[in-house]
Amino acid sequence: MARSNEVNLNECKMVVPLNTWVLISNFKLAYNLLRRPDGTFNRHLAEFLDRKVPANANPVDGVFSFDVLIDRGTSLLSRIYRPTTAEEPQPNIAELEKPVTAAVVPVIIFFHGGSFAHSSANSAIYDTLCRRLVRLCKAVVVSVNYRRAPENRYPCAYDDGWTALKWVNSRPWLQSQKDSKVHIYLAGDSSGGNIAHHVALRAIESGIDILGSILLNPMFGGQERTESEKRLDGKYFVTLRDRDWYWRAYLPEGEDRDHPACNPFGPNGRSLEGIKFPKSLVVVAGLDLIQDWQLAYVEGLKKAGQEVKLLYMEQATIGFYLLPNNHHFHTVMDEISKFVSSDC
Amino acid sequence: MLRYDSTSSSAGSSSGSLSSSSSSSKPPQQDIDGLLAGAGYKVRSSELRQVAQRLERLETAMGNSPADFSQLASDAILYNPSDLACWVDSLLTEFAEPPPTCSSDFIVDPVNNQTVVNSAWTAAEPHTPQVHQNITYDEQQSLDNQLTVVTAMEEDSGIRLVHMLMTCAECVQSGDLSLATSLIDDMQGLLTHVNTICGIGKVAGHFIDALSRRIFQGMGGGSVNGGSAFENEILYHHFYEACPYLKFAHFTANQAILEAFDGHDCVHVVDFNLMHGLQWPALIQALALRPGGPPLLRLTGIGPPPPDGRDSLREIGLRLAELARSVNVRFAFRGVAASRLEDVKPWMLQVNPKEAVAVNSIMQLHRLLGCEQTRNSPIDTVLSWIRGLNPKIMTVVEQEANHNQPGFLDRFTEALYYYSTMFDSLEACRIQPEKALAEIYIQREIGNVVSCEGSARVERHEPLAKWRRRLSGAGFRALRLGSNAFKQASMLLTLFSAEGYSVEENEGCLSLGWHSSPLIAASAWQAVPAWDNHMSSS
Repeated sequence: MARSNEVNLNECKMVVPLNTWVLISNFKLAYNLLRRPDGTFNRHLAEFLDRKVPANANPVDGVFSFDVLIDRGTSLLSRIYRPTTAEEPQPNIAELEKPVTAAVVPVIIFFHGGSFAHSSANSAIYDTLCRRLVRLCKAVVVSVNYRRAPENRYPCAYDDGWTALKWVNSRPWLQSQKDSKVHIYLAGDSSGGNIAHHVALRAIESGIDILGSILLNPMFGGQERTESEKRLDGKYFVTLRDRDWYWRAYLPEGEDRDHPACNPFGPNGRSLEGIKFPKSLVVVAGLDLIQDWQLAYVEGLKKAGQEVKLLYMEQATIGFYLLPNNHHFHTVMDEISKFVSSDC
Repeated sequence: MLRYDSTSSSAGSSSGSLSSSSSSSKPPQQDIDGLLAGAGYKVRSSELRQVAQRLERLETAMGNSPADFSQLASDAILYNPSDLACWVDSLLTEFAEPPPTCSSDFIVDPVNNQTVVNSAWTAAEPHTPQVHQNITYDEQQSLDNQLTVVTAMEEDSGIRLVHMLMTCAECVQSGDLSLATSLIDDMQGLLTHVNTICGIGKVAGHFIDALSRRIFQGMGGGSVNGGSAFENEILYHHFYEACPYLKFAHFTANQAILEAFDGHDCVHVVDFNLMHGLQWPALIQALALRPGGPPLLRLTGIGPPPPDGRDSLREIGLRLAELARSVNVRFAFRGVAASRLEDVKPWMLQVNPKEAVAVNSIMQLHRLLGCEQTRNSPIDTVLSWIRGLNPKIMTVVEQEANHNQPGFLDRFTEALYYYSTMFDSLEACRIQPEKALAEIYIQREIGNVVSCEGSARVERHEPLAKWRRRLSGAGFRALRLGSNAFKQASMLLTLFSAEGYSVEENEGCLSLGWHSSPLIAASAWQAVPAWDNHMSSS
């Protein structure tokens, strides 16, 4: 067992830069400590270990941020990131919610990853990523601090996403000048990608317009063990065991992985044929063990006649988008920028 | 409700460059990996390979004992997760793997010293916030209904009020008192359109008052209501009850003191502000229950001299002595009456060189930061004699705010946001009269920050980053507060307080905040050994 571990570790180190390897391995090992075999989660230790950063209304590299309580009942916080403008390089502190001035300003509602259990909107890695998205897309980014599993199971994360969507949609100060509407995109990585999909579904049913959906290594699964899962189990930071644990923690008790939250186009899923689903940009890492499910998701969208662009990054592992030290990162960022701006 | 945290230094990371981002108080070290720094971790580029190796060893160790490691994680005390190398080593120690030499100055303690404070809380299962939510849900509903009645006009008025407050403060700073005065009138008029029961309306009212007092003092009228020491104690006690900031301060400090006193038979706590001695019953009880038996505990409590001649310090000492007697802890109390901390001389504390000393300062050090930067300023004097006592530990809790800037407008702005957040957190308090009196307590602080100057302005809060520099410069080094203190703080919060408070770990210090804005920070320190000093090490 130890020997094959060695082989795994060495392979793994060959495909990512050293600092990425250190970062993701650190997460992996820390997360191993937090998941208990009985399905409970060491939340205190998780919060202690998570590196967080405060919001900062003083612009750094052209982006400032502030936190807003969107829903008191569920303590739903979101962190808002805004670009500074040429006219106002230093925003007046009293004017954080000043109306956006451009003709069209994309508003990206971002759901951080963490397999439904880890991280927060104010986790350092996600604060960094959101700031990048602001600069990249000249967008306002709203990062939602949704409730996490196992304390809060399905559908809490989706409910929080929905609450955030309604909130964003109803902010006058987020309306683009051109048409007095909020130009909304949904985005997320890992569990956040899963949430983005389900929030998009709710939006369609309620008539809120979503301009596009960006899913980075979205978290999907199913009862069946796919070829990629078997082939890549334990090879690149992620194991089937931990994937199973997180689904058990998120899905309602007693449900299996063919629940539509996990497997939206599976036996209990529904076809999106005839539904005006937003265009999607789906990024799949070639070394992610759940890629078969992600590819199946893309197929599901295509079969239903939905507009979807797949970015398959062959040698990418999970978390490649967290540090800008690899070409997958830059490729994906370019595509995101094109995806969001094509409507402007 | 607008909300933002202005007390952070440059928390954002740079875009793609590899320059080290300054997310901490230390000056940027050239060798730190910039990308990992942006993720919150400090690793030297030159050490990346070694850290990677340690991670591999840790993985192997965990793989070899899978049944144990989540239990070990629950019991282990971990420190400073930002320092990856040391954190991984402390975990390796837990798995009984000898780590390579680490520059950490704190060895992980196995779980032997379970204190009464810890064991009481581990009985309660890790929090179930849903239950908590259900209890308050109905109340929240009605509060929400109240709040949703806020009309567009009110929201507008709220924003206008903030604008006007800022403009008024600007006028005060530039000396345009007549414009400032007319703004005060306008704002008071606007207040009638804004809900003053909660939110911006409530805190704005207090700031308008404070500005008004400042202006009229400048014009030769009015004086600041400082309140008697007796009143202050009552207000403090209600603030203690109404929200968790002081409780957090006390139990975090107590936990650190308890650990520092481990193995010592004679211990001496010096409390810089005794008040009603609220902090000490828990420590006495924890010491009573420590394995091996309690030490002899001496407590020296500093407090203002009572105007009516009553020896209130002694009364509190007697009550604590009663408690100590009831749990079989040998206890001695001494009160030191001083109207200002800088009037206290170390000989008054009668520290015995053989005892382990803990110096406890809950929101007292900032009072010594008179704006004159003279060579023997009160803060330097006091820090110097504390160092001379060579304490095992100095616990410092301070408001996490930047209220000591020279520019009035800056100070005012910071205070507006800090106290808005604090008032917001107080909304969750349901008990009266605790809530009302806690608000008056905070109101007095606001008054001092905004309308006082010179020696009268004692609420000179500075953020943790500044305290770190100051204390390091004065010959102290940080003792890290670990995951057990963090866990305890989190659990106590969920048991006693509303949803919305959060504890954060920041390089060995803990802070308590409201919805991701830290409001109070706790840290622990030790004097760096002075080699030319003849102090005996305890």
